Amino acid sequence: MRRLRDWRLLAVLAALIVALAILSLMVGPAALSPRAALAGLIDGDGVAGIIVRSIRLPRTLLALLIGATLGLSGAALQGLLRNPLAEPALFGAPQAASAGASFVIAYGFAGATSFAVPLAGIAGALISIGGLVAVAGRRASLTVTLLAGLALASFAGAATALILNLAPTPYAALEIAFWLLGSLEDRSMDHLAIAAPFFVASWLLLALNARAYRALTLGEDAAASLGVDIDRTRMMVVIGVALGVGAAVAVAGAIGFIGLVAPHLIRRRVGSDPARVCLPAALTGAALLTAADIAVRLVPANPTATAIELKLGVVTALIGVPFFLAMIFSERRALEGAPS
Amino acid sequence: MSERGTPLLSAAQLSVRLAGNRIVDGVSLDLNGGELVALVGPNGAGKTTLIRALAGLLPAAGTITLDGRPLAAFSARERARRIAYLPQGHAFHWPMQVAAVVALGRHPHADPFSPLSGEDRAALAQALATTATEPLAERTVTTLSGGEQARVALARALATQAPILLADEPTMSLDPRHQLVVMELLARAAQGGNAVLAIVHDLALAARFAGRVIVMDRGRLVACGPPRDVLTPQRIAEVFAVEAVITDTAAGAIPILHRPM
Repeated sequence: MRRLRDWRLLAVLAALIVALAILSLMVGPAALSPRAALAGLIDGDGVAGIIVRSIRLPRTLLALLIGATLGLSGAALQGLLRNPLAEPALFGAPQAASAGASFVIAYGFAGATSFAVPLAGIAGALISIGGLVAVAGRRASLTVTLLAGLALASFAGAATALILNLAPTPYAALEIAFWLLGSLEDRSMDHLAIAAPFFVASWLLLALNARAYRALTLGEDAAASLGVDIDRTRMMVVIGVALGVGAAVAVAGAIGFIGLVAPHLIRRRVGSDPARVCLPAALTGAALLTAADIAVRLVPANPTATAIELKLGVVTALIGVPFFLAMIFSERRALEGAPS
Repeated sequence: MSERGTPLLSAAQLSVRLAGNRIVDGVSLDLNGGELVALVGPNGAGKTTLIRALAGLLPAAGTITLDGRPLAAFSARERARRIAYLPQGHAFHWPMQVAAVVALGRHPHADPFSPLSGEDRAALAQALATTATEPLAERTVTTLSGGEQARVALARALATQAPILLADEPTMSLDPRHQLVVMELLARAAQGGNAVLAIVHDLALAARFAGRVIVMDRGRLVACGPPRDVLTPQRIAEVFAVEAVITDTAAGAIPILHRPM
């Protein structure tokens, strides 16, 4: 049941997303007025058309889709685990995607912006899911799944470090290091086309279980007695998060904190019902990442440095962490004792 | 054991192994509509495991029959509409509103994509009224007292309107008044035609409220029948290793426990 207040919040978030998307089309080395940006988007004529359609539109759409995927993944995992600290990197998929992409960059199969990178990243995420299911088993308990995920995440992290370590040239190592920091610079519609099916599959898997997250507030036994198939729900969420977040890392590198923060932000508005948190958390994630991607373009960068823009993962962490600390500070009494 | 026609739920030669140990060993029992059955036994007797198996939450050897059909033949949703299960120590992991928690009892009936139906609302209103939790409906469940939470948990189970209610220590860590309140609610549900099986540690409560008492010890069912016949000083000594006397009161033959043996 969504109440009027919830609908109002969703409308506000949708309006915010539209405004941020338009702003994102305007902002960059060549600043455009809202009118010029929209004209370029609709007609595709002239320089403005090329800038908007082939440079800024893909990165705007990717920011929206990735942000939404991270926000929803965080909300779904927190619902599944009944723990507000769960976040999308928990089962190792993003780390595995990073390792896959790093491998391709290191061995010169492709530059950091070619399609081989996202494909390798997605392959890495899929392998990690396969590994998780193989190690933990299809009907594994949560503890076993978490342990196996932790082990796989550490292994993938070590693999990435090894690839950096053995990188054939210092340039490749640098390229990997920057790629790992996360960016939406120079991404094209092809990147979007590669990742979008994974995002949609992830949303379906995660959203279809929204009612199960709500029933799980009573614990696994009670939820099972209400007809929730706990094993299937767990498997769908693990795979859904891995597909979505794996594809996100594959096209944009590692972007932290959105999956953790978005559900927290929204819980203050819609309450703690894990089913009602999902959609607004996805919209909040989309807005946060789009705003961060605007911010990296606005901050004056040093053109002589190797990295022209600030990296997205750096910005989300730099803004996200103090924000998160402030939120913990303001809510610490509620977090410690009986929740508000 | 059944005196009242076909049982709603019955188990025959039910055995459950957990981690290689046989926790429930060849238990057979019937649950009939209209009766409150108390399941008693010392810690580790297998009571919780038995009740979880009866709820379809654990794989078990032997047969469980629900409405004359094998329990395994029911889908999870169909089963959930017939058997409500109240776990031990009612957990509420998120600070949700009481009304939303009780509404979870309608999960097996609800269409995933539509709001609560009129029937759902009626069931919720009735569950809140029965358990006197209406004044708490807008409150946050995690801020309630233990007694209030126990009533909310019971309201959630009653909201399903399942004919069978399996409750694992519903009076655990409640004050004397709330123990009586909860037992009265269970007895009332039974009078309304439900089959209610509740694990109870307080033998006096069991003797006072239950129509039948089932005694379990080391995985086996050792006695089953009216409290007066089952809860004898000799059996209480054998099973619980406690010296007891039975006192006849207006509320029935109530065991009074004296000292451990």
